[in-house]
Amino acid sequence: MLKWVGLAFALPAAVALGYGEPVWPFLASGAITVGCGLALDRITGPKHGAAVGPRESFLVVALIWLLVPVFGALPFLLGDEPQLSNPVNAYFEAVSGFTATGATVLTDVEGLGRAMLFWRQLSHWLGGMGIIVLAVAVLPRLRIGGRQLLQSELAGPTEIERFSETIRETARRLWKLYAGLTVVAVLGLALMGWSGLDPAMTLYDAVAHALSVVALGGFSSRNQSTAVFAPVTQYLLLVLMIVAGINFLRLYRVLVQRHVRVLARDEELRLYLAFALVGSVLVTFELLAGGLESGEEAVRHGTFQAVSVMTTTGFGVADSAAWGPLATMTLLLLMFVGASAGSTGGSIKVVRHLLLFKLVNRELHQAVHREAIVPIRAGGVVVEERALRSAVVFVLLYLLTFVLGALALLIDARSAGTEIAIFEALGASAACIGNVGAAFGFAGPFGSYAPFSDLSTGVLTLLMWLGRVEIVPVAVLLARSYWRA
Amino acid sequence: MRIIVLGAGHVGRAVVDALHEEHDLTVIDVDEGRLSSLSDHYDVRTVTGNGTTKRVMRDAGIADAALLIACSPREEANLVSAMLAKKLCPGVKVVVRTSSVEYLEAWREREIDVDFMVSSELETAIAISGLIGIPAARQTDVFADGQVQIVEFDVPENAGDGPVIGRPLREAEIPQESKVVAIIRGKELILPRGAEAIRRGDRIVVIASPPSARSWSRLIAKSDQEIDDIVIFGAGRMGTTIARVLLERDLRVRLVDSDHARATEAAEALPDARVFCAQAFDPEFLARERMGRSNGAVFCLNDDAKNLYAALLARVNGVTPTIALVHDPSAVPVYEAGGVDIAINPRQVIAEEFVRFAHDPRIRQIAMLEEDRFEILDLTVREESELVRKRFDDLPQTGSVIGALIRNGKVIFPHGSDVLEPGDRAIIFVESRRAALVEKVL
Repeated sequence: MLKWVGLAFALPAAVALGYGEPVWPFLASGAITVGCGLALDRITGPKHGAAVGPRESFLVVALIWLLVPVFGALPFLLGDEPQLSNPVNAYFEAVSGFTATGATVLTDVEGLGRAMLFWRQLSHWLGGMGIIVLAVAVLPRLRIGGRQLLQSELAGPTEIERFSETIRETARRLWKLYAGLTVVAVLGLALMGWSGLDPAMTLYDAVAHALSVVALGGFSSRNQSTAVFAPVTQYLLLVLMIVAGINFLRLYRVLVQRHVRVLARDEELRLYLAFALVGSVLVTFELLAGGLESGEEAVRHGTFQAVSVMTTTGFGVADSAAWGPLATMTLLLLMFVGASAGSTGGSIKVVRHLLLFKLVNRELHQAVHREAIVPIRAGGVVVEERALRSAVVFVLLYLLTFVLGALALLIDARSAGTEIAIFEALGASAACIGNVGAAFGFAGPFGSYAPFSDLSTGVLTLLMWLGRVEIVPVAVLLARSYWRA
Repeated sequence: MRIIVLGAGHVGRAVVDALHEEHDLTVIDVDEGRLSSLSDHYDVRTVTGNGTTKRVMRDAGIADAALLIACSPREEANLVSAMLAKKLCPGVKVVVRTSSVEYLEAWREREIDVDFMVSSELETAIAISGLIGIPAARQTDVFADGQVQIVEFDVPENAGDGPVIGRPLREAEIPQESKVVAIIRGKELILPRGAEAIRRGDRIVVIASPPSARSWSRLIAKSDQEIDDIVIFGAGRMGTTIARVLLERDLRVRLVDSDHARATEAAEALPDARVFCAQAFDPEFLARERMGRSNGAVFCLNDDAKNLYAALLARVNGVTPTIALVHDPSAVPVYEAGGVDIAINPRQVIAEEFVRFAHDPRIRQIAMLEEDRFEILDLTVREESELVRKRFDDLPQTGSVIGALIRNGKVIFPHGSDVLEPGDRAIIFVESRRAALVEKVL
């Protein structure tokens, strides 16, 4: 599979050619990747490769998300980029790209070459829907065992989703929709520039932000993130973020098959919009009441920032790092909401909140009615007890990892003698495990993760990886029972 | 008429009991023992074997049979044997018992080629649903697409004299659009004339329009409490079907089953029902869940003894009325002696549906009362009948009463001066042994 990823380097190479920047880092990276891919093919060979069972799928998913960014970091290193010369930083940037996190160690984004920036954005796009989903869609060899792979790959507990089509067909539909949405985003954004509504928006920016927004990534080609664009563009991005945060399987039914009623009945969607609304209102309230901003600007900034953080995108239209405690707290909490299952977003996902809420409700009901049997339904379909348990386990593991991550940052800061506020540590940990990107303090929307030590950067890289594979595949690998017969 | 009955279980026995006097019956069953116990009681031919095979069907004489009643508990076997019968003898009528709503729907959409299909679960559920709408009723059935309702009431011993009780019928304020067609006093049957009075302890049969049936219920039960909370014990196929029918009427339904898997399955299938996994014999559970406040309980456990005990326990805890399914007809008097309000025999309910096909094709529907002692017939009057154009007062007394007429789609509750017209659909109360006579003269 890796050898195909190598082909992806051709795109930034073309961009580099177009802008007259050095092409060779991408070609060399591509060559190395393809070479390694072929070598891996040779080692595993057809006799091992065919059977990807449920066991192997954990390993495959976990490893792919570790390995692909290794190759993704090659151009940064080969390109002799001063900001990314440290391999730890380069790897952080690549992981942040492929996991669609959007956290960056760059302090001067625009200082990077256009091709290099394009590669960052493209890594978002490739990682957003999932390289494995793409592989299942196009590669013949992965068809067997594709179901398990897709289950472990798609964000959120999609086992409650009924795949009425074959896995290959499902994966294809997802990518078709994803690609279609990207084209719409590019055209929409470019139109803003062409029509003169937004003089700051060039075609290059349109493509870069489109790739980033449909993946709910957060990398921008500008130092000031999306704040440089006109309000119209920001509203368009806001809508795109909300759409990309909806379950793509559901979205496909609505947009392509025209089953509009699917959306009206969708409990997850309703909760998702409710979360977004409440978050936006709280942040806006803080901005207005705190006298930080006023009028339309406060509403736009509050809503954009709340949605951006909740859908785990991480774009910034204002420096939320400077906002008051209510806004900051709301944004931190929103980091734990996440987008819908089956979208490109990260974090806990709205559907798990929904299931947990229903679970709590049932426990309370059963405290009074001991013998009552209350199946939990999502969208009219009964959710298996097993799926409920795994949702609970996931949330607990997620919170545990988040706390441990923040703790590790503080330990490292103490031993290295640097200063970091508690809230900054919590924010960075939450932003990385939730694949949000922008955190608080120096790591805010316009800031950078550069001040972190190498060890802390490593921890945060680990958190992004865990967040993207949804912890469980890795936790399973750590369990002793996995390696025993 | 030559009739083949497939299955000698409870339903088959009820069918045989209703038909053996007038028809030539052959019963097929795989169980030799069941057949021999049947032939001890009734004069029928028996064939031992699998009714889904050609050989057995031929042995049973399908070639010159007029009707096949496939009423074994195995619905797939019933269907296969019905298909086979249609092939071997194209002119034969087949009626099939099923418990699957899917099959029933497929048949209604004419995708399954049988003449009639009936589900004991659904029929029983509809019967129970009817009873729950009419407090104090022992049994009820609707005729003519719901325009006419027949109801059997027990007049309580402690009822005071009122507008209907203790007065001669011609003076009693009986609801309009209704007619008292029979009074059963102990073992005695009275076909009431104007001078007769309803007494305490009587059992009466009323034919009425649905609103008047409810008025009767209020007169007798003296309560017009709104019914909206029903508890069903036993979440098997019968229990869940009843729950579904009641939920469709927007009643609140609680389902109780001691088997966890069955309770879970029911809870998943019926989102609007509240399901509990508990023993029906657990008084603490009944108290904890305030079962006494419900407006009625239905017992569909698989065992008559358990149904009886659970119903009595619920009664002790304040649940009324109690409706219990009975599987063995001989348990009915035990239920009544114990104080179960209503005993319903699902086999009886569906036997009614089967038996209709052995009757005159002019009969659209039959209901049986008092374990087939009486029948209610829905019969269209012929032009040639000697009773046509006679006044009701002049009709002969043949152990039968016409309770209602449907003329040009409108319902008439006839009085002495009304005249019988050809083409009238008559809803007739009749003693079962005189049913053939009524068919002949009308």
